[in-house]
Amino acid sequence: MDLIWEGIKQAFELLLSGNREVYEIVLLTIKVSGIAVIISMIAGIPVGLAVGLNDFKGKRFVVSIINTGMGLPPVAAGLLVAVFLWRSGPFGFLQLMYTPTAMVIAQVLIAAPIIAGVTLAAIQQVNPSLKTQALSLGAGRWQVLWIMANEAKLPTLAAVMAGFGGVISEVGAVMMVGGNIKGQTRVLTTATVQFVRMGNLAMAIALVIILLALAFAVNLVLTLIQQKENKSWAGRFLR
Amino acid sequence: MGRQILEIKNLKKNYPGAFDLSIDSFSIGSDTTCVLIGPNGSGKSTLIKLINLLEEPDEGQIIFNGADILKSGKEKPLYRKMMAAVFQEPLLYNMSVYNNIILGLNLRKIKIKEKKQVFDYLIEKLHLEKLLLRNPKSLSGGEQQRVSLARSLVLEPELLLLDEPLANIDQLSREGLRKDLFGVLKDMGRSILYVTHDRNEAMMLADYISVINKGKIEQSGSRADVFTKPANEFVAKFVGIESLIEGIVIENKDNVCRVKINGSSIFAVSGFCPGQAVTAAIRPEDVTLYSDETVGPGYGPDSYSKNSSALNLLEGSISAVQDFGFFKKIEVDCGFKLISFVTANSIERMGLMAGKRIKASFKASSVHLFEK
Repeated sequence: MDLIWEGIKQAFELLLSGNREVYEIVLLTIKVSGIAVIISMIAGIPVGLAVGLNDFKGKRFVVSIINTGMGLPPVAAGLLVAVFLWRSGPFGFLQLMYTPTAMVIAQVLIAAPIIAGVTLAAIQQVNPSLKTQALSLGAGRWQVLWIMANEAKLPTLAAVMAGFGGVISEVGAVMMVGGNIKGQTRVLTTATVQFVRMGNLAMAIALVIILLALAFAVNLVLTLIQQKENKSWAGRFLR
Repeated sequence: MGRQILEIKNLKKNYPGAFDLSIDSFSIGSDTTCVLIGPNGSGKSTLIKLINLLEEPDEGQIIFNGADILKSGKEKPLYRKMMAAVFQEPLLYNMSVYNNIILGLNLRKIKIKEKKQVFDYLIEKLHLEKLLLRNPKSLSGGEQQRVSLARSLVLEPELLLLDEPLANIDQLSREGLRKDLFGVLKDMGRSILYVTHDRNEAMMLADYISVINKGKIEQSGSRADVFTKPANEFVAKFVGIESLIEGIVIENKDNVCRVKINGSSIFAVSGFCPGQAVTAAIRPEDVTLYSDETVGPGYGPDSYSKNSSALNLLEGSISAVQDFGFFKKIEVDCGFKLISFVTANSIERMGLMAGKRIKASFKASSVHLFEK
């Protein structure tokens, strides 16, 4: 228990003392995972909606691919990115290996299928007749997509939460393509591994606490948005 | 019927494992209310979706305002926007009632102020004033359908398609909504296709009725034609004619046929020739019953023979009495089954009960004959 208390104490000391290394690690974590989630939302939500709302040949196959992607092991995503960005790889000339950009790419590979898959499941729960009604009211293709997305916005927020949770906590992919370079590609998870290897458990605990606090803060904001929607409907129901 | 806003020719849609929709000919006149009646699963809703270009037929023509809209390619959404459909389910979105009502206007890029008058009219007539800020999830089924109807009616479409809008609503709310809706529809006077399986709704609303069964139109005509001169047994049963009696025409004098049925005979006004096998349809409300105990002027068979112009007088015994709330259904066995509706008061006054001998009369003009 002493070790845990020591970790908690050290975490606050590190944050309050303005430890530059810790702040750099936290900021890079937010930056990499934040950009990865935003890109994953831009790619994943429309894919989930498009697949969920349309019937086409091979739909089951596409859904299976997305579902498989949801369970993609981070090391597999990391390996895939590493193979492409390696010096001798097809995109080696871009010299992105061991950069935050490579870490973002790897995290997008992890988060986008999660967001697409949860959005797909959410949109399939929406009454399909609402699409027919929207068309009958005069909606065009994009308007139908927008209306249906609006119907599934609460579960879609859950998709974003799941995607963020998937990337902020993963270590395998960012370690592989980022290299955990101090001051350049070191994020909370890779730094934690590093400090455990060095036997600095108190520092590792401190970083994990910061990681948990960060994950909690982001999810709290998303949950508040989600519950505000629910509450507003409930409030009107009780009126 | 004047100018036709919609004409359907040889429309076919096959649903493997279900039914085939096959409409040879169907039309709706401009500013006319056409009611399409038929049992569940007869293809009514499919026809609405085909007309509204929400489904593709296998072949055929849908001519709307003179244009074959199935061949309109990229202009299909434009034609769809000239119509508006209300379905059995209210199908409202996760937004306020007000936003639901103006959704179609927004989607069609129609300014709300252009429709302010009709919007206010509908809000008042459909009693939506107090619901505008609420979420549809908090409304009853009847209230939700009022919103759905207002949403389509405010568009003032050239053709309004209503697919059993009252079917999913409880009895009490249905009565109120039916009164309000039918009032609005008559006020607005638009071209309407109203689909229902309720013949009472058809009676109340229709200028023109089509009866559909198993994907085919069985009969189209004026309300009076369909209800009193059904084209076949299915239509007759569907419009509430329970006395359907098979017989053979044995005589025709000045368009009054004598039809032989199980040893007795009835008279019917018709042009059928002797020897033709026919089915006679008699509406229950056209059959009058007489009992020997009935007293007073105008009652009883003796009085009947002197005072009645009805050609048909048959004797039989009551085989069943069924309670239908406001009235009772009396089944008389006269060698064939004859149905009559009478009030509880008449039952009591005449002492009608199963097994009692009774006389039944109906006019020859109340009997509709169609080919067997």
